[in-house]
Parts: sequence; C-alpha cells; structure tokens
Amino acid sequence: MIYLALFWEYFKIGLFTIGGGYAMLPLVTQVVEQRGWLTSEELLNFIGIAESTPGPFAINLATFIGVKVGGTTSLGVFGSVLGAFVATFAVVLPSLVIIIIVTKLFDKFSKSKYVQGVLYGIKPVVVGLILSALITVGCQVILPNLNLKAIDKSGFDQFNWISLIIAAAFVPLSRIKIKGKKVHPILMILLSAVIGVILFGVINLSQ
Amino acid sequence: MKKVSLWQIFITFFKTGLFTFGGGYAMIAILEEELVAKKHWITSQDMLDMLVIAESTPGVIAVNTATSVGFRLRGVLGAVIATLGVVLPSFVIICGLSFVIELVADNKWYQAAFKGVQACVIVLVLNAFIKMSKNLSRDWFNAVLLLASFAVATLTKFNVIFVILIGGVLGLSYKLIAEAVCKKKQKGLPLAEADNPVDGAETAETDNAESTDVKKIDEKNTQNKEDKQ
Repeated sequence: MIYLALFWEYFKIGLFTIGGGYAMLPLVTQVVEQRGWLTSEELLNFIGIAESTPGPFAINLATFIGVKVGGTTSLGVFGSVLGAFVATFAVVLPSLVIIIIVTKLFDKFSKSKYVQGVLYGIKPVVVGLILSALITVGCQVILPNLNLKAIDKSGFDQFNWISLIIAAAFVPLSRIKIKGKKVHPILMILLSAVIGVILFGVINLSQ
Repeated sequence: MKKVSLWQIFITFFKTGLFTFGGGYAMIAILEEELVAKKHWITSQDMLDMLVIAESTPGVIAVNTATSVGFRLRGVLGAVIATLGVVLPSFVIICGLSFVIELVADNKWYQAAFKGVQACVIVLVLNAFIKMSKNLSRDWFNAVLLLASFAVATLTKFNVIFVILIGGVLGLSYKLIAEAVCKKKQKGLPLAEADNPVDGAETAETDNAESTDVKKIDEKNTQNKEDKQ
C-alpha cells in the first residue's frame, strides 16, 4: 500500500522537524531517495515551484510529492489527489495534536527545563542538517554524478559550470537590499527561469 | 478575547494561505497585521507566545501558528478549521499545477527554464541556512553539534531522524549536567564562592569538560550504530 508508506513517511517528517519548511528538506531528500519516489532533478524542480506558489513551502512540497506518488497507482487522477491529501494530512497531523496540548500548557511548556534542554540540542543539529541539504542540493546541480556517500573520481566527470556561475551570481542578488527590502525569492526564481530559457533554450549551451 | 465564528476563522486563514508566498515568517507578519492590528482577535503578547510555540514544536511554522491561534479562539474545532483553511489553497493550487507539469515535463523550454531555477534553489537553501545559523549563539556546543550532524547527514546513510533525536538527548543531558554541577558548587563551596568571584567561569569550564565526555560517549554510540548498518 503506497498510501500507507506515504502517510508513514510524512507523519515522521511532520513529527521530527522543528524549525519549519527548510528544516524538513534533509528528511524529504533522504526519504524520496530511499523510496525511489522522485529523481533528484524532480525534487529540485518541485522546490523551485513550491517556493514560488502561494502557501507554506513545506505544505506545497508535501502536496507535490503526494500527487507524484499517488499518480503511480492505477487510480488515475483520483489516485494523485488522494496521494496529495494523504501527504498533506500526514505532515499536519502531528503538529495539530502537539500544538493543542502545548497551547493549553503554555507556561509549563515554555519554562520546562526539559523542553529547553531538548531544544538546545536540536537547534544546532537542524542547522547542520540544512547545511547538509545545501551541499547535497548544490552537488546535485553542479556535480550530478558525484555520490557524496561513496566518493570516487568519476563523480567529477560532469561539471555544470554554467549552473555554478548562475548560482554564484544569485548570491549577492539575494543579499542586497533595495529600499530596505530584500529581493523577493519569487522574483529570483522567475529571473532564474528566464536566464535558464535564454542560456539553455535560446543559446542552447550544453552543460 | 472576542467570540469569533468558525467561518470567520476559516476565511481569514484561507486568505492568508492564498496570499502569502514561502510560508513561515512571511505569513506570520501578515497574520499579525490581520489578527492583532485589524481584527483584534488576539493581543500582540498572544501572538508572541504562539510564535514561541510554533517555533519550538515540530511541523511547519505557518501551519503551527494557524493551529495555535485557532485553538485559542475556538478550542479544538477552531484549531482544525484554521489548519484546514491555511492548507487548502496550497492543496488546490499544487494539485492543479501538478497536472500541468505532467503535460509539459518533456518540453524543451520547460526543461531549460528549470535548469536555471535549479541553480537558484541552491541560493534559496543557502539563505535559509544563513538565516537559521544567525539564531544560534556562537559557542563550542553548537559548533560541534552543527558540524557533527552535517557530516553524518552528508556522508553517511544514517537516518536523519536519529540525528535529531541524538541532538535532543545531548542538549538535555548538557543542560541537566550543567545545572547539577552548578548546584554542587554552590552547596560545597559557599565560602570559596564569596572569596572568588570568578568562580562562575570555572563552573562553566567544568561543565564543558564533563559534557565533552558525554558527547564523546554518544558519538561512539553513533559510530557503533553506523558500523552495524
């Protein structure tokens, strides 16, 4: 039952990530890779779309993966929508229950030394995991043949230097402030899509 | 707190879900404007409390905030309705969009555009990393845990969930040991403490030493687990 697997994986993702959207990314990457649900390229595309459509990033990504996984059944469109529902429901369910309990016990919760202690350890770990997601995502785009978990030389055969240059150019763009406001991520994604169309479509540079 | 109808809760969060991009903190700014300044459903202190809850409980921050506000306004049913409202726009839009993507996935221009987007996604994750690491205090404990979890998650197939759990256990043991050592010092050396004002610094150092040992043991355990795998 693929829906059961989808529910279970997303329930775990919803239960174990503290720090929101991008903190979920390392878990999502690991799960879709191990289960063979998405190619790394599909996942990257979905991240781009999830960031540039309305609603919370992590919910968008969950819905996307649900549609994709549900679409592999013989149920057609209904199967895809069911998959989306299962993934979204599963990712929200743990926090729905936890939040109701915690909101009731807010003072006890926020002052508890146990809660404080656990969070104290989880915070740096989550940042480390996001750094890991950054390196993994970066390698998938720039060195697609490289396997970080079993390095060998052939991994460096394909080097997408154009992607590296685009990414490097977007770093300063994403940090500058125009009239006190940072450049919005959606604007960056649209711009990168245009650059992609020009470089890889019109000029037809091959990597 | 005002009595708010479930329909109003649903509509408010549905609109928030529909008109904010990226989620998380972008959404919280809008919720504050809408719920505190305009509708006066909750005070800004409530909002702050709910942000603390949303950040320190598992799950999506924007959704957690919605659940928390819904619960405060109308109990369990309010929590469910608010969550449903904030999630529904994403659900409908993404479902629709997925079918369009299926149709164009092999299109040359679509693939070219997304080669560009993929490069941009790296920068988005980079910015998420920078933003989150700014919230960490710069001490050895955070640095060691950050680097250890980074290395384990990047270079091994060790389950990420266990990495998070180990982090929680280490954080808790660190805090409890630090507290125990502090108490011991205060009880055992009441005079010395008065004589020596720098004692606090020494205590901190002892904590470090002890916790490093704990950390080493735990790291060994982790290593063993990995070896078994």
